Amino acid sequence: MPRIPVSVLIQAHRQNPLLPLLLKECRSLDSARNELRWLRERALRDSQSRTRLKGSRLGWRMRLRSMCLWRSRGFPLQYILGDQPFGDLEILCRRGALIPRPETESYTLEAARLIRQSLENHHGPKLPRPRSLRVLDLCTGTGCIALLLHALLSSHFKDMTILGVDISPLALDLAQKNLDHNINHGLLSCRASADLHFQRANVLGRGDDSIPAVEEILPKYFSQPTVSSESTGTGCDLLISNPPYISTSDFRDGTTARSVRLFEPRLALVPSASDFTENTYDRPEDIFYRHILALSLKLQAKITVLECGDMRQAVRVVEMYTAMISSDLEDSSAEIWPSAEPDLAANGFHPYDGSRCVIIKRQAK
Amino acid sequence: MLRLRPWLGLVKPTIPLSTLIASRAFTQTPLLPEKPLPARLKLNDADLTVSYLKGTGPGGQKINKTNSAVQISHKPSGIVIKCQATRSRSQNEKIARSLLADRVEAREKGDKSRVALKAAAAKKKKASKVKKAKRKYRALENGEEGVAEDLEDGYEDGVEDELEGEGGKEEVKKVGEVSQGSSGA
Repeated sequence: MPRIPVSVLIQAHRQNPLLPLLLKECRSLDSARNELRWLRERALRDSQSRTRLKGSRLGWRMRLRSMCLWRSRGFPLQYILGDQPFGDLEILCRRGALIPRPETESYTLEAARLIRQSLENHHGPKLPRPRSLRVLDLCTGTGCIALLLHALLSSHFKDMTILGVDISPLALDLAQKNLDHNINHGLLSCRASADLHFQRANVLGRGDDSIPAVEEILPKYFSQPTVSSESTGTGCDLLISNPPYISTSDFRDGTTARSVRLFEPRLALVPSASDFTENTYDRPEDIFYRHILALSLKLQAKITVLECGDMRQAVRVVEMYTAMISSDLEDSSAEIWPSAEPDLAANGFHPYDGSRCVIIKRQAK
Repeated sequence: MLRLRPWLGLVKPTIPLSTLIASRAFTQTPLLPEKPLPARLKLNDADLTVSYLKGTGPGGQKINKTNSAVQISHKPSGIVIKCQATRSRSQNEKIARSLLADRVEAREKGDKSRVALKAAAAKKKKASKVKKAKRKYRALENGEEGVAEDLEDGYEDGVEDELEGEGGKEEVKKVGEVSQGSSGA
């Protein structure tokens, strides 16, 4: 990490004595100024609400100072403020659950666009327009993807079932809180509490006494036959996931930011070594994808969206998928998004570096 | 005492007190509805390029960015607006769009644009407020009687330009000139 020039530090201190603290984490004056503004707004709001509650006015300046000190040690801004905007929703963030990222927001918006597009294609004179939608969100964390999908698609479908699965009880508790929070603030329709479910399960497929495997809990939610898969009984329209995908070396060598490494849950970032037993030819950071792809094939998911760490990992996931379907001769396509120039620019992605996602589409027979 | 006048507790006012309070106007000048502003200019989506600015680097789970700046450029006029007011990308985009629409309209229509009209109205309002305040404090200096007369005059006329206080006519004129001058500019 390049050193911040002393001249910049002096300039920052002249503008506000708290700015040098924030510069430690933000690295640029512009973003430090932004963060200071957001922190000040929150400190003022907190002190006002506190006077109403307790009658004792805690100094907002003291509070702002302690917030800035936390931030200078790398504590994530979203954990200090307690929330993060995601689409039009407000997602609560607590330690123990991954903070929603803007890239994930882009993937979720793209997934919703694909669903709407398939709905328009369906709108022929012969075919009845599908009225139901089933979504499975694996490794849901704060529940941000599941909630945003409901906000974006609920007006198009009469009957929606969205199931969010996670192994961490802390994350599931937060996801449920987020659901209530967004309904209370009018950001989600009242239907959401009936349509959305959050369940504890192990995505890696080994159920034991305390935690069931994903397959075991699915029939409860996806039991009715869908339009496309009457035969199997369990099917889903969209399978979306942001699984842990950082390798242990990337986690240690400085590629992963200090703030993420120190304060965000490792469980949500790095697949643990103890899970890596059965396959010797997969890299340890890719183990989630094999399980999720197998589940996607089993459920005959029409669209599968998987977030990956970078282009190389996305290519590995596509290769893994083509190897898995070669025996089945499925009529499906797997692509990496965003890869076209306009898509990259419009969504603010770096041209060759940074996160990508794999989108698998299955043609309806 | 109560026994002698039992009706005190029984007689009720015909109009409930709450409506009396609610309907009591503080001025006798009828409130004129403000002139509606022209509708905000609708920009053609094809002319806009929206981009989300992010730093370089790995992104995704590996980095937790807080920057959510949105930049919109309008091709025909070449105006570029960048917004990083909030932490929400969608909110920033909305703000940037409305700012851009205002700027484009201001360039096209000049003084007759929405922004210019709004600014002119605000300026006029402020000038009138300053004038009223000056009148009040001048009247206070002149004594209690002056206050009552001044206020009545002002409210009956509803127009602040013609005012006859007890003294300090020159000052009044000055204020009037200032407000006219500023509203005209």
